[in-house]
Amino acid sequence: MMIIRIGDFIKRVLNNIFKQKKNIKLGLYGPVNSGKTSLANKICVDWIGEEMGIVSSIPHETREIKIKEKVEIKSKKGKSISFNLVDTPGIATRIDYEDFLKHRMSVKEAKKRAKEATKGVIEAIKWLDNMDCVLVVLDSTKNPYSQVNLTILGNLQARNIPVLVIGNKVDLKKSNLKAIEDAFPQYEVIGVSALNGNNIEEFYESLFRVIK
Amino acid sequence: MPHQCVKCNIIYPDGSVNLLKGCNECGGKFFFFIKENQLKEAEEIVKNLTPEEKIQIEKDVFELIGIEGDESPVVLDLESIRVLEPGKYQLDVVELFKGKPLVYRLEDGKYIIDLASTFRSKKKD
Repeated sequence: MMIIRIGDFIKRVLNNIFKQKKNIKLGLYGPVNSGKTSLANKICVDWIGEEMGIVSSIPHETREIKIKEKVEIKSKKGKSISFNLVDTPGIATRIDYEDFLKHRMSVKEAKKRAKEATKGVIEAIKWLDNMDCVLVVLDSTKNPYSQVNLTILGNLQARNIPVLVIGNKVDLKKSNLKAIEDAFPQYEVIGVSALNGNNIEEFYESLFRVIK
Repeated sequence: MPHQCVKCNIIYPDGSVNLLKGCNECGGKFFFFIKENQLKEAEEIVKNLTPEEKIQIEKDVFELIGIEGDESPVVLDLESIRVLEPGKYQLDVVELFKGKPLVYRLEDGKYIIDLASTFRSKKKD
């Protein structure tokens, strides 16, 4: 009798843990073209065998929130976590259709893209309150002291949302991960190349530290 | 704070009845919501737009915020988002993160209605 009760208790506890973790929303935030979708694709390919979205060198390729549900990853020690991965449009302070014209786009297409990108920024910001944990993806070849980066991180801190800062594109010559670490010393910073998979194992291990 | 009719550039003081009825000159119901110190800049932006561009901006903003087939006046908060011309946007991310509504819609008897719910995404599971 006692054994059955203990068994039920353990089952309930496990169910609760599973229930809580099932709906964790892990958001990818960051400036435009920092590699959020590339990282989302890397995670999805590695753990569920399919990509999440289209990646392009043209800014504002992701203009809508995209969600991949129930992504489960396993640590080296055999622990596992499951989350809903939420890829968001890049945050920008200025969106100008003329920037798209050099990518062989018609004026009409470029203006449409600018409008969608603006809508995307607004949506990404509105979604922040829904996140349980956020990966701030920064381009490690760029100066980290930008208004966009500081505003995103400041708002995450104010909302008490756990953060992991990703310095992406560490495979590139111009990459300077230390600049990101110096800029945001209060956060754990992981350097990766979402495209080539550099340091991706360490990134997965760090997810276990930040998603609780 | 003053409001500017996007179509004909006329500035109306805060609380003006024209915001509900529409602009005296053109009957337009799309306004920019501006701070006193931004008046000059806002005037310049609107002055340099062609009538076609103004119509396009109105259409774009309505699409951005998801308003369809509604005759109520709409006021865009220039502090958070500026539409300089169709396809050119300036976003104040600090203001946007504050969660202030970007757009106010005016209705008789309910002076300003927060449209933030338009953007509100699905709640947490």
